[in-house]
Amino acid sequence: MTVRAGLRGAPLVSALIALLGTDKVLGTREDLLVYEFDGAVDTATPDAVVLPNDTADVAKLSRFCHQHDVPIVPRGAGTGLSGGAIPVEGGVVVSFARMSRILEIDVPNMRAVVQPGLVNLHLSTAAAPHGLYFVPDPSSQKACTIGGNVAENSGGPHTLAYGVTTNHVTGLELVLSDGSVVRLGGKAVEYEGYDLIGAFVGSEGTLGIVTEITVRLTPLPEDKRTILAAFPTIDGASETVSAIIGAGIVPSAIELMDQLATEAVEAAVGAGYPLDAGGILLMEVDGLRDGLDEAATRIEEICRANGATTLRRAATSLERDRLWAGRKGAFAAMGRLAPAYYVQDGVIPRTRLPEVLRTVREVAQRHGVRIANVFHAGDGNLHPLILFADESELEGVKEAGLEILEACVAAGGSITGEHGVGMEKNCFMPLQFTADDLATMGRVKSAFDPAGLANPGKIFPTPGRCREFQLAARR
Amino acid sequence: MTDRIRPADAAACARAVAESAAASLSLRIRGAGTKDYLGEVLPVDAVLDTTALAGIVAHVPADLTVTVAAGTRFADMRAALARAGQFLPLDPPHADAATIGGIVAADSNGFSRSRYGGVRDLLIGTTTVLGDGTVARSGGRVVKNVAGYDLNKLFVGSLGTLGVLVECTFKVLPRPPVSSGAHAQFARSAEAFAAADAIVRTSARPAALAISGGPGGAWELLLQADGDAAPVERTLELFSRSARAHGASAQRHEGVPAVLATLNDVSARGDGTVVRAALPLAAQPAFASSAARLEGFTQFVADAASGIVRVVLRADDAVVLGGADALLAAARVCGGSARIERRPESLRARLRAWGDAEPAGLFLMRRLKEAFDPRGILEPGRSAAG
Amino acid sequence: MTGYPNADAPSPELLQRCVHCGFCLPTCPTYTLLGVEMDSPRGRIRLMETVWQGRVDVTSDPFERHMYGCLDCRACETACPSGVEFGKLMEGARSQIEAARPRSASERLIRRLAFRLLLPRPAVLGTFAHFSVLSKRLGAAAVLRAIGKRIGVAGRLANLLALVPDRASSRALPTAYPAHGTLRGRVALFTGCVMRAAFADTNAATARVLSRNGFEVIVPASQTCCGALHAHAGERADARDLARRNIASLEGLEVDAFIVNAAGCGAALKEYGWLLKDDAAWSERAARFAKRVKDASEFLADAGLSVMPGPLRTRVAYDDPCHLLHGQRIREQPRALLAAIPGLEVMPLGEADWCCGSAGTYNLTQPELSAKLLERKVGHITRSGAQLVVTANPGCQMQIAAGLRAARAPVTVVHLMDLLDRAYRSSGDTGGG
Repeated sequence: MTVRAGLRGAPLVSALIALLGTDKVLGTREDLLVYEFDGAVDTATPDAVVLPNDTADVAKLSRFCHQHDVPIVPRGAGTGLSGGAIPVEGGVVVSFARMSRILEIDVPNMRAVVQPGLVNLHLSTAAAPHGLYFVPDPSSQKACTIGGNVAENSGGPHTLAYGVTTNHVTGLELVLSDGSVVRLGGKAVEYEGYDLIGAFVGSEGTLGIVTEITVRLTPLPEDKRTILAAFPTIDGASETVSAIIGAGIVPSAIELMDQLATEAVEAAVGAGYPLDAGGILLMEVDGLRDGLDEAATRIEEICRANGATTLRRAATSLERDRLWAGRKGAFAAMGRLAPAYYVQDGVIPRTRLPEVLRTVREVAQRHGVRIANVFHAGDGNLHPLILFADESELEGVKEAGLEILEACVAAGGSITGEHGVGMEKNCFMPLQFTADDLATMGRVKSAFDPAGLANPGKIFPTPGRCREFQLAARR
Repeated sequence: MTDRIRPADAAACARAVAESAAASLSLRIRGAGTKDYLGEVLPVDAVLDTTALAGIVAHVPADLTVTVAAGTRFADMRAALARAGQFLPLDPPHADAATIGGIVAADSNGFSRSRYGGVRDLLIGTTTVLGDGTVARSGGRVVKNVAGYDLNKLFVGSLGTLGVLVECTFKVLPRPPVSSGAHAQFARSAEAFAAADAIVRTSARPAALAISGGPGGAWELLLQADGDAAPVERTLELFSRSARAHGASAQRHEGVPAVLATLNDVSARGDGTVVRAALPLAAQPAFASSAARLEGFTQFVADAASGIVRVVLRADDAVVLGGADALLAAARVCGGSARIERRPESLRARLRAWGDAEPAGLFLMRRLKEAFDPRGILEPGRSAAG
Repeated sequence: MTGYPNADAPSPELLQRCVHCGFCLPTCPTYTLLGVEMDSPRGRIRLMETVWQGRVDVTSDPFERHMYGCLDCRACETACPSGVEFGKLMEGARSQIEAARPRSASERLIRRLAFRLLLPRPAVLGTFAHFSVLSKRLGAAAVLRAIGKRIGVAGRLANLLALVPDRASSRALPTAYPAHGTLRGRVALFTGCVMRAAFADTNAATARVLSRNGFEVIVPASQTCCGALHAHAGERADARDLARRNIASLEGLEVDAFIVNAAGCGAALKEYGWLLKDDAAWSERAARFAKRVKDASEFLADAGLSVMPGPLRTRVAYDDPCHLLHGQRIREQPRALLAAIPGLEVMPLGEADWCCGSAGTYNLTQPELSAKLLERKVGHITRSGAQLVVTANPGCQMQIAAGLRAARAPVTVVHLMDLLDRAYRSSGDTGGG
């Protein structure tokens, strides 16, 4: 861990209270304990938690932290899966729970202006009466915030056809770690100069803090067809994915779930997934009503030709919601199988799916762990969920996770598709990038955050925490 | 007299740039040279010609990705993809001659952006030589990837000022089974925009929705629809209904792609001054009617589904200067931005490519430029960010 | 103190189910109002864990504040994909606070009065209810509020009085209602404590509706309070005592179901098995008994109406009682019954699945948060355009009615069974009783 000499502990809390007032600062032991975790497995206790009401609060806080060498870690709903909101080097956690308003739904321009703490789904709900919605739909969309989506460049099942967060952000207001406020972009599709928004989205809080977001709203599809296909084996399901794409069809979503995942989901949601299937595909086509049935039929034919045993097309929106509820609640449903899970997020070219899934099975056997698979097959974005019972197993579990990521990179893929690097995979970055690649990212970091106070210990390998990994890699 | 460097691979390119940096020799990065008019073109010591960095590096059709060397001509890549029944859904200006690197560096989009995304949305990986000769990769060959910063975005539209692109990876798509077009003539621009807006608000997602107009004449709305037969048919129906609702009658028109290509090349033709604006969608009609009232107004072209508008002015320099300034200001006032995409030599000094307004976040852009190109040798001064 | 004092503690097995995904946060009223993790389900679970870890003391003020800051509305349970049984955890945590924390003499007195004297004794509670209605009519609230500025307890009483309905009914019910038409079965009506003391008319209406639909209804005299409020307040021993008394006096009855029309009581009765799980002599009997408990709407909708109700021409909105929706997962049945009433226009109600702030005794213990939730609820109701708001729990009825009165909103609150009874009466059929 980097040892930094700045203001910490009780003196920091008192100073922040003096700066911002008691109702915006948390600093008792009990309060801080509940901010030491997010949706992933790593933990660290902050020195203080600040709950800003507006951009001015964030700017004031950032200036103060800059003066006193205090790290700042932004936090939305704490649903992240890579430890992005964990204050690994201490300092202040900035919670956006109170900056959660929709500032404007601009129907003529098809844009919304929102605060970072807004829950993702709340935006689509508010836009629906205007026939519009916000495309990125991470599985946690009922809880995760748009500020968090920007930080992680979140995806979701429907990004196969419609893109991820970065494709839907046109404006940002940022507070840099020195307290300066920068407004970028707006309601048009592009602005002059470098695409700083493009560089910022997905930077995991390491370039600064976002305080306002302008996003694109998209017309709701006129209709949808959702298809569930069950296959005797997971290989059958994953080979079908390539067959569908190969036939020139790009559904809006193709999700895959293996038997173990299905078991958990059925216990939790009762979505009606067949429990005896080795692999299940959940697919959707949407858009104008015309031709959807034909497209769905073509997909079903391909599934059948590839050995699908059960095919079901949602007949009502209620049925569709039920099918999706199973998929969207899948991660959390793992609580039914084991007290904890460690989820990986590797991406591979989708033609390599069957082969890499076999590797995942081998890893599970080798380490004697259970691994459930539920993922965005259309994007080749794997989510192996490694189940475990208690902290003592975590080492082995992480080892298994690393082996899976190595297989993903070897197949020409990436260590993370949508969950972010955070503090969970920063040591693994050298698997995918050369020292020069990482140093180039470091130049961007220095341009935005020369003091290195914006969410330190994330994305970039840190000498302290990553030493062990580097030793292991050399071995 | 400028030198010419033509590296054959990434390593040679890196060496050449490093040597230039060491000698503080400034470089123009040039592919096919189709867009020499873009930005503030200042004198340089040498030209780095990318055309030898050519060829398809990897294309696995079922993965829907393609990796190409940056000097590859767009047309060559298009042909290669077509052989696999696929396409890169970009319809850039200068499509026949332009290179991939140039298209990325200039953020060259056409009308398909609203349905398929622009260069920034389709580019998923880059290998770039920075101004000090460092070879940096970002992204990769998979369609979804959030490992590290998305540096790809920084190079899109940077006009070579941050690095020399040597390799690019894109998402590609299967060719749609059906593609059909239609058009309609409106008496006023406002009606054309209203008819377009009605389409934009549906989930029809046409492949192109363009508006063109000139002094005194009618305003033409053009639509191209891609996809399966049924939705394409329905989109054309929606188009007819919308045109009728706004006082026009729509006709099928199989020549729409050719017309769009001509409209796309409005800056390529080289006569007149072209103001290009990126506007909030709803600001387009007012901008169009202001433009049409300007003295010297010659042509108006809009990607109505994305809010990208080009206005061609042709008149005495003084008149053009006044009109262009008015349009630059109008774009900013309505929450967008604008630039001078092309102007005659006689106006080059008096009409700056980026206008007088600083882009938001300029200090950050300058820090990035400094970090990526410490000696300032790459296309000095060419982009809005320097 | 390290850890928890006794076996009622929130168990590590239940706590471990939480994978801290955060899906519960936006459904939690206190998290939405306060925006802090400590007042979220996930944060409260974390605090319960930290007591096991010895990092937080079960007797500490913050622990008590955050545990009692919870409405126990259990919306988080509905939202939780991991199946965390939050209600059980919360009751467990509160029982530990009560076991471990010294209470002041006055606090002990109030608790004893309320939990031992008032609630289990219908006659005393009925008298109290009538006295309250009378005091309210005499304007006692204003007097109390004036005094309340000096003395806190008087202010709390004033808040309590604001909730008291304009009229209360506590008349005794007949011991049996014969079935109309073909006999479809026999059920026993659980009359509750607050229901019996203040909403006896609703009990009578429930019996009439059941009898109209072919069910013989008996009203056992020996039943007592269900113990829900005791359990929510951490008084597990009292809750168990009441549970044993109810089971002993009711289990022998030859009935198809025990019908409850108060959501809070229904949820508690259905959890008797859990409450007595460590009591070897009672655990099985309790579990068997619990399986026979049905909410009135659940029972009727599942059995199907044998006679269609008469028409009611009015606009209604249905507000889910938390302990029906989240505690018993009963959502569609009450709506199905409303849909069966001809002429009724059912308006959509925003945040119908949100707590109104009543939450047992929350409106008395946390008046500020409760008032905020009530304001939110009243806002949704008035915006819905409904003339009647239908619910199925006495606490919600009193709370929402008080809110509507304060806002001078021209909307009245009615229990679903009263509305059904009214519909049957409108068809010229009084259904007897």
